Amino acid sequence: MKVDQPLQSIKLLNPAQPNKSTGIINGQSSGILNWNDISHPQMYELYQTLLGNFWKAQEINMQDDVKQWDRLSDTERDIFLRVNTQLASLDSLQTPTMTEVMHYVTDSSFKAILAVISQQEAVHNESYSYILSSLVPLSEQNKRFNEAKEDPIVQKRNQLILDAYQQFIDRPTPQHLFELAVNSINLEGIYFYSGFAFFYHLARQQKMLKTSTMISYIQRDEMQHAYFISQFIRILLSENKELNTEANIEYIYQTIGKAIELEKEWADHILKDIDGIELDEFHNYLEYLANKRFRQLGLDNYYPERDNPMAWIHVFSDEMMNETKSDFFEQKSRTYTKVSSSNGFDEL
Amino acid sequence: MKACIVYTSTTGNTEEVATAIYNQLVSHIDTDLMSIDNFEFSTINMYDYFIIGTYTWGNGQLPTEMKALYQRIETHANKHLRTAVFGTGDRFYPLFCGAVDRFRDMLYEKTDLAVTFKVELSPQQTDYNKVPIFVDRMLAVQVS
Ligand SMILES: Cc1cc2nc3c(=O)[nH]c(=O)nc-3n(C[C@H](O)[C@H](O)[C@H](O)COP(=O)(O)O)c2cc1C
Repeated sequence: MKVDQPLQSIKLLNPAQPNKSTGIINGQSSGILNWNDISHPQMYELYQTLLGNFWKAQEINMQDDVKQWDRLSDTERDIFLRVNTQLASLDSLQTPTMTEVMHYVTDSSFKAILAVISQQEAVHNESYSYILSSLVPLSEQNKRFNEAKEDPIVQKRNQLILDAYQQFIDRPTPQHLFELAVNSINLEGIYFYSGFAFFYHLARQQKMLKTSTMISYIQRDEMQHAYFISQFIRILLSENKELNTEANIEYIYQTIGKAIELEKEWADHILKDIDGIELDEFHNYLEYLANKRFRQLGLDNYYPERDNPMAWIHVFSDEMMNETKSDFFEQKSRTYTKVSSSNGFDEL
Repeated sequence: MKACIVYTSTTGNTEEVATAIYNQLVSHIDTDLMSIDNFEFSTINMYDYFIIGTYTWGNGQLPTEMKALYQRIETHANKHLRTAVFGTGDRFYPLFCGAVDRFRDMLYEKTDLAVTFKVELSPQQTDYNKVPIFVDRMLAVQVS
């Protein structure tokens, strides 16, 4: 395989080839998907879990947030709108990009998962519109989207990703696919987090909880996308030795490192007037985040090892999201006492 | 005396921890290291020490492949079996290593639970440093 040779957009149906694909790119694949006969069986579990996440913006009643909106400070409102339009802009890129990748991936199960991811990104995109429509008139929304497009910091930050995505669209080579995937980790796994921090910070003060509920759904989806894309990259490298080079490992470190620097810059800009978020601490948080991404890719930490400095940035619990649980443990009445230090038991 | 480590791992993180524990434990005691797929439930009672390793899935839940083991211990284990549970997870989920907690609460009641251990994704240096402590607690004579 030549890493700089464009991949062929694959035929819909190749009856002579096996259903169980022989590779995620350049593989033999009939194009028919039987989930019971796939090369990476763990993908079925992931597919089902992703589907189980299904949610839609309209299910969340924005009434409480609408009432609180007028009571936010001018700064909070301004940052809220900037973050919202910025996140919406990023998500807008992701739906068509995932579809683009689907054309060249030769494993039908991966195509199916990419289709689900693409659908979820469409839902995320819509949820930002839904939040905006509840809070400000269309003229204000348009103004904000235009500002997001023109903001030099935003432009600089997005350029890294745009370049990698566009070069794959222009010339869909295996190398460009690899670079696209790494930047997809940047987009889904790093660029959202200053925004998440802002919304969860409001939530800590009991502000705009409906918005944060949506953010929670989005974060959960995004975490699973980053998990999938990490697996995608690892499989891509292990199946294609020509891609599995020191230069490409270096590319991962460089590119995620760059994204972290850009995210720090954006965070300094957007969070500087927000009381209660220390910028230095947030920088450490971003480095902690990047280390997690490296380890998900099977690499070593790049930044110093540290505990999560901002443990409050996480997906809401079920109780907060009003989700009804129906799991293995609810079916039978399993009522074990929760073991903790109060029973004299400490975890390591 | 014999120990067994049974684990499940999709992306390799829990397996890394399992291997580190194995390497430490095997210098003290005869130890089997096994993926849940190869584990024969009826052999549980052959062991004096039984260690479970699991990642967390869904919403703080057990991975599907660990549910039968959970049920088996729940119904067949005895209070003298010395157990431990470890796992890997991601702190961005509301229930970090929820599967470890699920096992912990049941093992505490049904067996002689010695120690639990949670790791975020693949182990880092501070986690490796805890492995000898994990093994020591596991092997320590219980004072009850
Ligand atoms: C769909 C999905 C759900 C997850 N749910 C949780 C969770 O509720 N709690 C947690 O701590 N980690 C959760 N994780 C993270 C995994 O447990 C973590 O990546 C783990 O290290 C994987 O272990 P492995 O490499 O041994 O497969 C989830 C991951 C995925 C993909």
